[in-house]
Amino acid sequence: MPKLGKWKLLQVWLRLLLLQGSWNFERLQGGGWFYAMAPVLRVLYGEKEMQRIAREHVGYFNTHPYLAPTVAGAVIRLELERAAGKEPEIGILDFKEMVAAPYAAVGDALFWGGLRPLAAGIALLLAAKGLVIAPLVFLLLFNALPLWFRIAGFLSAYELGLQSVGFLQRRNLPDLAIRTKEMAVVLLGGVAAFLVFQLLESKQKPLWLGFLAVPAVLLCGYLARRGISTLMLVFLSSGLILICSYFSADVAVWLP
Amino acid sequence: MIGAELAIGAGAALVCGLDRIAALQIMISRPIVAAPLVGWLLGDVAVGLEIGLMVELLWQARLPVGAAIPPDDTQVSIAGTVLAVSLGKLLGQSGLEYQLLCLLIALPFGKFGQFFDRFARQYNGRKIAQSDRWLENGQFYAMERAHRMGLCCFALAAVGTYLVIICGGLVMIPLLAPLLLPSLEVSAEWLRIALPLVGISVVLGTINVSRALTLFGASFGMAFLLMWLV
Repeated sequence: MPKLGKWKLLQVWLRLLLLQGSWNFERLQGGGWFYAMAPVLRVLYGEKEMQRIAREHVGYFNTHPYLAPTVAGAVIRLELERAAGKEPEIGILDFKEMVAAPYAAVGDALFWGGLRPLAAGIALLLAAKGLVIAPLVFLLLFNALPLWFRIAGFLSAYELGLQSVGFLQRRNLPDLAIRTKEMAVVLLGGVAAFLVFQLLESKQKPLWLGFLAVPAVLLCGYLARRGISTLMLVFLSSGLILICSYFSADVAVWLP
Repeated sequence: MIGAELAIGAGAALVCGLDRIAALQIMISRPIVAAPLVGWLLGDVAVGLEIGLMVELLWQARLPVGAAIPPDDTQVSIAGTVLAVSLGKLLGQSGLEYQLLCLLIALPFGKFGQFFDRFARQYNGRKIAQSDRWLENGQFYAMERAHRMGLCCFALAAVGTYLVIICGGLVMIPLLAPLLLPSLEVSAEWLRIALPLVGISVVLGTINVSRALTLFGASFGMAFLLMWLV
């Protein structure tokens, strides 16, 4: 079987960082996928053959950008086998289609739906205290897991080929996504409490009033669920506060 | 001076805009990072931190999944910070109320980000036929160049959104400041927490977690009581 140098693999990995560079509504990440795989295909195939093989890599492709290296590692292994004359058990195109969508779903839920609000919540607590390290904390907290998946996923999948699906299965990512989301909700509760407490204390108002924030948040959440846009909610709440301030010097004077 | 500061903002808008979709995605595009970064570049990191704090959660629930394009909170936070720092110096304005004014004016312009982003994606789509012809002719390097051109489209979309927000802000802030600043002055602290709370409520309303309200309520109550009693 032909071998790929470490530089070639690094080249593919670095190009995967630009996977969504030519994102479009027809093929989504298709152009970026070919861009990432091109250095490997060029090594493995002659010009005529590459033309035939490349057709399998330019079509529709969509997965989570952090899990794309896991797909790519396995596909490189399958391409190596094909170049050596050994037909893979599953066609490369079929494999890509088979794993891309589930990886996208679990990646969206874990990284965008869970980890991002969780890291943001922690950073917001620090920012509310005026600590300038808040952005750095956010970057460190958020990027550790994606970076690990980007590197370890790529290397394991390159070693394991088709068996790389097990690499993600063993991590039980859907369960991890749910737990991360739950942690995010708990943390956001703490952030909300901290912001409200900080304000009431600075305005020297009775602290029990803080509990009124819960129904207000739930009402906004209900409206958001009913399809009211975030921008509308921002202007409704801001407008209400501004109108109140027209009629009295400070909203706080209406409070006990 | 303001020209140089706007240019610094444009540079940050370009880099952070690319991180948003097209390249890296290490989240320097998130408002909590992008706004303090620009604030630091302009010499006032605290303003950026405040704006990042207020914007970060607003569109957190809008996931950048598939063809979904959320409003451009990256450019809102960057342009909001540039307006708060640079235009503030020019107008002799500062403080939380002025930062809020800049942000409230920048927020609706974030919708333009969706138009620019959609345009970049459509432009990339129009290049597919050409790319297929290159494939048939074995011009693989041209296909790779086309992909890199796509990055330029996203970069232009980011800078375009930034410029729209900046232009909107430069026109509207001097006009609205005398009208809104007096009332913002007395309600600034309320608005400062209203924006993150709206963001939290939208996350709660859309997050797919069973018993989310119970978890939120329990954690809010527990944290609030602890701060109150301890």
